[in-house]
Amino acid sequence: MIYLKANANLVLREEFDDWAVLFDPDTGHTYALNPVAVIVWKHLTGTNSEEDIIRIVAKEVESLPPEAKEQISSFLTALQTLNLVENVEREKP
Amino acid sequence: MTAAVMRSPRYIDIEITSRCNLRCTYCSHFTSAADVEEDIPFFEWRQFFEELGRAGIMRVVFSGGEPFARHDFLDLLIDLKRHPIRFAILSNGTLIDNKIAQFLQKSGRLDYIQISLDGADAETHDSFRGKGSFDKAVKGIQALQEVGLTPVVRVTIHRKNYLQLKSIARFILEELRLPSFSTNSASHMGLCRRHASITQLTPPEYAAAMEIMLEISDLFPGQVNATAGPLADGYTWRAMEEARWGRITPPAGGGYLSGCRGPFETLAVRADGMLIPCQQLSHLPLGRINRDPLLTIWRNHPTLSLLRNRQHIPLATFSFCRDCPYLSSCTGNCPATAYTHFGEINHPSPEGCLFLFLKKGGHLPERWNRLHG
Ligand code: SF4
Ligand code: SF4
Repeated sequence: MIYLKANANLVLREEFDDWAVLFDPDTGHTYALNPVAVIVWKHLTGTNSEEDIIRIVAKEVESLPPEAKEQISSFLTALQTLNLVENVEREKP
Repeated sequence: MTAAVMRSPRYIDIEITSRCNLRCTYCSHFTSAADVEEDIPFFEWRQFFEELGRAGIMRVVFSGGEPFARHDFLDLLIDLKRHPIRFAILSNGTLIDNKIAQFLQKSGRLDYIQISLDGADAETHDSFRGKGSFDKAVKGIQALQEVGLTPVVRVTIHRKNYLQLKSIARFILEELRLPSFSTNSASHMGLCRRHASITQLTPPEYAAAMEIMLEISDLFPGQVNATAGPLADGYTWRAMEEARWGRITPPAGGGYLSGCRGPFETLAVRADGMLIPCQQLSHLPLGRINRDPLLTIWRNHPTLSLLRNRQHIPLATFSFCRDCPYLSSCTGNCPATAYTHFGEINHPSPEGCLFLFLKKGGHLPERWNRLHG
């Protein structure tokens, strides 16, 4: 089973109205996160799979649009491409 | 209505020392409220850096005085690196040697280092910065370049160098081979208040500096960073003139004291550990580091609320702005220079005031003349 874990060097700066900036102090790169992306980021703990995260978001966000599942998926792929998230492979508990 | 405020400031400006190896004639630091007797010790900064790390501060900008005049400055930078924070340095460049340059290059957290350079030769640069400072500043710049760093050069425009701006630009861009430079101008703060008549440009001189800077921008496209000084004011004033004739819409916040965005993004700390809204508002202490929690001050301090609410004060309420045709597109300029001129932060500043500039003999560059009516 593949779980997703955020790069621990990054700082999540919650700014206003549930929006945040993800900041990499080693490169100076910043990424703007919308409120749904913030929820996703907070659950990249290494104990949730992509399906778990989609389930969690659906629970936390009222009236999530139908295309959200796809959007979360491509957001996670983008994070992986940027090395902001790593895959952790483990047996399902 | 109060504008939304971030949960924590993005940046913190730290005057890491009040001391400096130079005494520039127009220095905004000396004789201001930030010109304090004692610098706080290493362990106090160390403790404060921990708080900055917890608060999610992205960058600390170190200035002074001269940061490298503090003997433990590099140790402080090493300590800062324990936290997820980047840094920048504003320096006169004269104390930077190869060892410091290498240290900065290896730090991996340097956003930028800004070096002041006011002339293309020692005579011009040293006129207000002191004998020998040009050679040392240039050596400092070259030491940084040798290790692969690209310093940001800042030219302070004043009465003794504005006519040499073209040769200064050539020196920086062609001889030193830097990619760009930025400018500001001596403004009415600190020592400059005492020496205003010899340092600050008169409106006709300011107009001439604007013309020269425009020519430099033509000669070196994209290499002049106009965020402050005559060219930046020129661009703002051109927009105000355009708005006056209805060719563009006035900027958001036009007609109100909305020109200062600092209190929405940053805080500053004096060398004695007092938190202040901005380095140029050093007479407004908000609390002390390691005694008063940073985030409580950021979110609740009445002085910050006052500064953030300036944007709701209409310029029309000031006799200073009476009969001004630019009222609806003006944002009232910097509260710090309003204070040094009038003793009042809730007031438009005469520095950056287009109406006053024109009344006192200034004019916009010839090429923009078609804007008038
Ligand atoms: S406008 Fe003046 S007071 Fe405001 S942040 Fe800038 S320098 Fe400071
Ligand atoms: S008088 Fe000066 S500060 Fe006042 S509105 Fe006009 S340009 Fe702005």
